[in-house]
Amino acid sequence: MKFLRKILDNLEPKFLKDGPLEKLFPIYEATDTILFSTSEKTESGPHIRDSVDNKRIMILVVVALLPCYIFGAINIGFQTAQISGTVQSAWENFIIGMGVILPVLAMTFAVGGFWEILFAVVRKHPISEGFLVTCALIPLVMPPTIPLWQVAIATTFGIVIGKEIFGGVGMNIFNPALVARAFIFFAYPSQISGDKVWLHADGVSGATALAVPAAVENGNAVDLLMNITQFNYSWSNMFWGYIPGSIGETNKLLIILGVLFLVFTKIANWRIIAGALIGLLSTATLTNIMAPLSSNTMLTLPPHYHLVMGGFLFGMAFMATEPVTGAHTDKGRWIYGILIGALTVIIRSINPAYPEGTMLAILLMNAFAPLIDYYVVQGKIKRRMARYAAE
Amino acid sequence: MARIIIKKGHNIQISGVPSLDLVNAGQTVSVAYLPEEFRYIKPKLLVNEGDTVKIGTPLFFDKKIPDVKWAALGSGKISAIHYGQRRVIEKIIIVVDKNEEALEHAYYDHQEITNLTNDQVKDQLLNAGMWPLIRQRPFNKIANPRDLPDSIFISCYNSAPLSVDLDVALRNRRSSFQAGITALSKLTEGKVNVVVDENCTSDTFKDLQHAETHLISGPHPAGNVGIQIHNINPLTPRKVIWTVNVQHVVTIGRLFLKGIFDPSLIIAIGGPGVKNPIHLKSRMGASIQSLVTDRLHDVSHRMVSGDVLTGSTVDKDDFIHYYNSAVASIPHSDKRTFLGMLHPGSSKSHYSLTHTYFKFGTSTFPFSTLQNGEERAMLPINTWENVLPMDILPNQLYRAIIANDIEEMEQLGLIECDEEDFALCSFSCPSKIDVGNVIRQGLDMLEAEV
Repeated sequence: MKFLRKILDNLEPKFLKDGPLEKLFPIYEATDTILFSTSEKTESGPHIRDSVDNKRIMILVVVALLPCYIFGAINIGFQTAQISGTVQSAWENFIIGMGVILPVLAMTFAVGGFWEILFAVVRKHPISEGFLVTCALIPLVMPPTIPLWQVAIATTFGIVIGKEIFGGVGMNIFNPALVARAFIFFAYPSQISGDKVWLHADGVSGATALAVPAAVENGNAVDLLMNITQFNYSWSNMFWGYIPGSIGETNKLLIILGVLFLVFTKIANWRIIAGALIGLLSTATLTNIMAPLSSNTMLTLPPHYHLVMGGFLFGMAFMATEPVTGAHTDKGRWIYGILIGALTVIIRSINPAYPEGTMLAILLMNAFAPLIDYYVVQGKIKRRMARYAAE
Repeated sequence: MARIIIKKGHNIQISGVPSLDLVNAGQTVSVAYLPEEFRYIKPKLLVNEGDTVKIGTPLFFDKKIPDVKWAALGSGKISAIHYGQRRVIEKIIIVVDKNEEALEHAYYDHQEITNLTNDQVKDQLLNAGMWPLIRQRPFNKIANPRDLPDSIFISCYNSAPLSVDLDVALRNRRSSFQAGITALSKLTEGKVNVVVDENCTSDTFKDLQHAETHLISGPHPAGNVGIQIHNINPLTPRKVIWTVNVQHVVTIGRLFLKGIFDPSLIIAIGGPGVKNPIHLKSRMGASIQSLVTDRLHDVSHRMVSGDVLTGSTVDKDDFIHYYNSAVASIPHSDKRTFLGMLHPGSSKSHYSLTHTYFKFGTSTFPFSTLQNGEERAMLPINTWENVLPMDILPNQLYRAIIANDIEEMEQLGLIECDEEDFALCSFSCPSKIDVGNVIRQGLDMLEAEV
């Protein structure tokens, strides 16, 4: 690696002040510090620092996402084989799936990287490692059949509107990957909307699990799901993920493992996750109780089905726990999480036009997170002022 | 008596922990003051270059409160007075004589100290030039002798990394320590709170009179006096609390028992750059050279006066700072790990759990001055909150300060904070933000308002 180090050291003067490539310094800095840990030293204050940095945190989120990629590839191959009626090994499924995923991934990173570098150079800020996570998340929430140009537009929208216009990572109010997903959802509804699913086989489509109960009145959601013959929509199959859906969100076990890893490393906050689970399960129980009062079949969907259907677990694990756009106080995180869970069920049930409620619930709560924090902080201030006044 | 258990915090596993042996440091050739380390004062000199002084001769005073004077830390000739820009006094150096003399003041026995009045104790300390040993919260500045503090706090728990072991430092000092406490108890109508580490076995802190003893346990920053005040007698905007370093209580006690300013001090020298980390018998203001001679590994390194979290960088030609009782050496490192962000990093210490860590227990790590990352925008994943055992929202407070919002700073409790309590936040921050420094900026702003 000394050889690589030498090349970088030789290139460095060109990018420094008054060098010919001075403006492109963020590119050099990013390459340099991604390949080799930084040699920056402490100036004062704490003369020693912990070994963690933002790069480490971001790369660990990507690591937590990798199993979802692998299973996503296998599932794409599996679904394709289902349609053609053939049986393949997991490895063959994986190869077929990778053929679909890699172009999407490459497009996301190419477009995302372009915007990130452009803004870094123009606005003279370092390239943020946060874009690694954003670009790793975007393909996972896309359907396998998405046209690459749509990926490019979605990524552009997510990174530019979702993040850069606010000043970059740390200043954004919405999760960029979710903004990208929402953009596709509203801009190209015919390709991505909830009542048609997307398989890697031309001309084949069917209803997603969530769209099944949404389409029928006065039914029982579980019975309706069981009656679908095109796909296996049993609870366990939806948990294990052999169902059509976005690339990364189908296998719930891998998502749970991923989020446990993030909680263990203290990157994801367990309060948001616990809150979201409580919110979802209790609201779904409530809708079950109220189901006889309405003809809405979605209300009959049991809580544990809500848990494994659609993108709830994925959104909760990797989108809601995003630290910057969520609430910043511990009490606020509870409220934020509970409302995400509750809103997911409410949007799914009450507004069947958007069967995928998680995305909208998280985006809505992203917008409300500062308000929640405001009231939590004001509460704290009030208690402190009361103590000051009492003494 | 209160028993306090601190849960939030972190003990940094840094190598080079000073052994419990106590040896004499080399004879210090010179001692010095660095008036700049005292916040919010306007020093005015009372001596000139070339003057001969005794231990305890006042060298300068504070123009804002002229009663507060600084006593010479050694007897001998003032060899140099360094000035900085706009004639700021940077350093006053005294070359120490072989046979040192000390100014003499009144002295008392234990019973007599008990009968002293507030003014008598105050005058004795002010005349001896030892008043700066007493600091106040808020702002962590030198106490104003005109104030009547709500209480006085003495932290007898050094939780900071590489700090002096108090059992070593206060061995056979019980009499002076008790005298110091008795004298200090005259300065307040409230209590003298002595906060002792629950695991400390030293007899010095047992059955103290004229003081209330509290027990505290938990990781750093449990030993910070600010954390202890916050848990026992929290500050309010109208409250003033005084604090004294534990070794300085002994110094004050000796002033009353013997009538002289005895600047002797036990200093811990440690860190990964030190060959045999150990406790040294030395003195306040000692030259770094006299402390580290023959004790350092032959590597490029940084000397720190104070603990590695809050201390200041010093040269070999410099002097240990007034309030510090530890000196550390941290090696520089130019090591750049290939794909360091993916490296499992079992050899790296961490507060965060983002590196694999197989060596449990007492193993220590050779820290260097590497920052281990670049400064980035704040990533609010609770790293600050998890090492700050205070009822404070560090994230919101930080933002109020960088937005210069004085009202919100006050509302969020800045008055109860000090930068040293936030040092661990800076240590563990993945975005490498120096929180402590920002807290100080906020306090400076607030102090200017008051």
